[in-house]
Amino acid sequence: MLLIGGVVAAVVAGRHADNAEDRATATRTVRAVIGSEKAEFFADPDVVKALAAKGWAVKTETSGSWAMEELDLKGYDFAFPSGKAPADELAGKYRVRQPLPRPFYSPLVVLAHRGAAQVLAGNGLATLEGSRGTLRMGAYLEAARHDRTWQQLKGAEQHGELTGTVYIATTDPVSSNSGALYLAAASYVANGDRVATGDADLDRTAPLMRKLVSVQGAQQSSSDATFRDFVSGVGNPLVLAYESQVAAVLNEGQDAGDLTVLYPDTTATSDHTVVPLTERGRAFGELLGSDPELRRLAVRHGFRPQGATAEFARATAARTAYLNQQLTGVRQAPVPTSEVLHEMARRARG
Amino acid sequence: MRRRAALALSALMLLTACTGQQHDDPGSTPTAYAPGTLRVLASSELSDMTPVLDRVREDTGITVRPTYIGTLDAVDLLARGEADGTYDAVWLSSNDYLRLRPDAAEKVVSEMPVMTSPVAIGVRAETVKKLGWKPDDVTWSRIERAVRDGGLTYGMTDPARSNSGFATLVSVASALSGAQSALTDADVAKATPRLKEFFEGQQLTSGSSGWLATAYERRGNVDALLNYESVLKGVPGLTVIRPRDGVVTADYPLTSLTSSNATAREDVRRLAEALRTEPVQRLITERTHRRPVRASVQPAAGLDTGLRRELPFPGSRSVADGLLDSYENELRRPSRTVYVLDTSGSMEGDRLERLKTALTGLTGDFREREEVTLMPFGSAVKSVTTHVVDPADPRAGLDAIRKDTAALSADGDTAIYTSLEKAYGHLGTGQDTFTSIVLMTDGENTAGAKAREFDGFHAKLTGARRDIPVFPILFGDSDHAELAHIAELTGGRLFDARKSSLDDAFEEIRGYQ
Repeated sequence: MLLIGGVVAAVVAGRHADNAEDRATATRTVRAVIGSEKAEFFADPDVVKALAAKGWAVKTETSGSWAMEELDLKGYDFAFPSGKAPADELAGKYRVRQPLPRPFYSPLVVLAHRGAAQVLAGNGLATLEGSRGTLRMGAYLEAARHDRTWQQLKGAEQHGELTGTVYIATTDPVSSNSGALYLAAASYVANGDRVATGDADLDRTAPLMRKLVSVQGAQQSSSDATFRDFVSGVGNPLVLAYESQVAAVLNEGQDAGDLTVLYPDTTATSDHTVVPLTERGRAFGELLGSDPELRRLAVRHGFRPQGATAEFARATAARTAYLNQQLTGVRQAPVPTSEVLHEMARRARG
Repeated sequence: MRRRAALALSALMLLTACTGQQHDDPGSTPTAYAPGTLRVLASSELSDMTPVLDRVREDTGITVRPTYIGTLDAVDLLARGEADGTYDAVWLSSNDYLRLRPDAAEKVVSEMPVMTSPVAIGVRAETVKKLGWKPDDVTWSRIERAVRDGGLTYGMTDPARSNSGFATLVSVASALSGAQSALTDADVAKATPRLKEFFEGQQLTSGSSGWLATAYERRGNVDALLNYESVLKGVPGLTVIRPRDGVVTADYPLTSLTSSNATAREDVRRLAEALRTEPVQRLITERTHRRPVRASVQPAAGLDTGLRRELPFPGSRSVADGLLDSYENELRRPSRTVYVLDTSGSMEGDRLERLKTALTGLTGDFREREEVTLMPFGSAVKSVTTHVVDPADPRAGLDAIRKDTAALSADGDTAIYTSLEKAYGHLGTGQDTFTSIVLMTDGENTAGAKAREFDGFHAKLTGARRDIPVFPILFGDSDHAELAHIAELTGGRLFDARKSSLDDAFEEIRGYQ
């Protein structure tokens, strides 16, 4: 396949020598399906330039990480879902050899306006340090189990928008990775700090997981959409996001207003994982993780590069009011296998 | 026997107000894909994006060719696979309903929200004063109270045909049911008495936001409009209020399709990216009163940034469709319509057959409690038959309409105005309904009263009769100027069955009845 591609490129290059993309010796173009949260990274002119300097160009389309399974990926060089579980699933389907390149990662956080965050803190559901804090997952899940409403929380009456059931608005866990990871973290806590591994665990956690999802009604299918809605002022008090999405906005130097970033004390992390479908795709994925300039740009877009934490810490030094650089007090919940997680999501959606 | 909420595709923008931008009608022959031009199924209120899209075309070279369509129709079209190869993107006010339909959702690749606008109520300044409202304190319950005790009246679009109507219905139902989380069937059932009361205040209905605003300004006796904030901000004299107990917000996701080719999908992505750049986000909020999705761009002046609870949209199709079904058949005021049907000699043959087919098809769409009068005419009105779709036995009324339809025969001249006068006489006043007249004719007026005489007749109408709109349908050899004048005079709207079909025209008018 690679050989055929090479021949075509050579023929085309002969006819259109002025077309930079197809110059046989220069740019290699790859096509990819990516999670929506990485769209801005790949669209960044500096990323385009850094890639071009290494001889690469990339064309991307976005899709929910779990929805990538439904797509026909013929003609693509790699898929770039935002989690290990959907990546493994795709790798299995397309018989891709492990290990898969994992250039960067980002923990899940919960976004809130200050008022909502303070009400949570005042009722033992969170602790705050300025514009960042920790969400106590155990207490939150207990509130969810009892259909706690904002009206039942002390201090909520001062905020007209804080009414209705307390819940975190997430993406659809069946199609999108962040929604599924939310269930991974929540089920870990609900299952007595044990990762769900089989039917018994699924049965035990199902009613609560179902509740966490069904109260939300219709859900967005991508984390980009929930984040954009929040930025635009759409009033879900608590919104699940990737830390990278917030960090990227903060890195642009935007005034974050009364934004508060809550790190769940038990969270899950999205390992942005490249699933190479061609050798080119694999080479590209490895470059993303190893090239210092691309790592620097990934940090600018809020991602944490694999390996050393110093790059992220240095770059976000001015944003510690919002970001928990060392993830102090935050525990990573192991993510169930993709099979279990899928089933959990399916049951939660009902 | 209840009317299905999700309609077959047909009722569409047959005669869209000219936006200066090229657009297609869903019934028309599909345009072939041309690189650089995106064929987009879009919510009709996006016609206000023309200056923004012109700017984006300059920046990116991408031309958007919109086809305006209601949400449910768009979702049906996707689900049936009819958008495959015909459209390159979908751009509705929201994909909430789309995602409830797996057969439609699987046609979608990526969704990129571009801007937002919450549901709001726009109230005449003097009404705000009369009611003693402080905009920041208004809740849906207070609006409900004003309807009940203060006689507050309002207009809104038909939820089955218009995105804004659907979002409004969900907002009202969520708030008045007291649901603390996403609506369930039980919430809707519980709230039914209050919702019924609330919808007694609805004096205007419309298939599109554009006509709603026009009819509101013309009528002058309606106090408020329910619609998206962006639409209301464009109507002069309204105080725009986002109810304090919550709203449903449109986020306009530009959506690419699995069926389109890679180049088109790349163009959709580039278009979304261009729409999200700072200068374009600024242009959007200033020109269209929608809210930006970029943190560095502030909402335009006059858009209040106080927080509102986001009311969840139903999470299942059965709840969403059930709510629509109750609205149509139970909650809203029923409609009362006289169909003034040309059965003159020139209708003989194919035309009459088409009329019969269209009318028979329409019987599948009549709502419970609806009153339908058939008034066929030639040189004069030939007969007047009235049937009501009784919720206890809807079939009887519908069968009777079908029977009368089958018996129609063509002969005589064309007495348009005399027949219209008779329709006004039949309708009278005093009933609590959405009252309108549909006029279908295939020729010009050749008998009875003249246009001038009808103008005089109309000028003398008083009270509620004056507000009855005539919706004329262009068909066969009918006279455009003559029918346009009737629509204009009576505050109706002209529909064109020559471009698509009589079925489509009747179907589209449903949104206005």
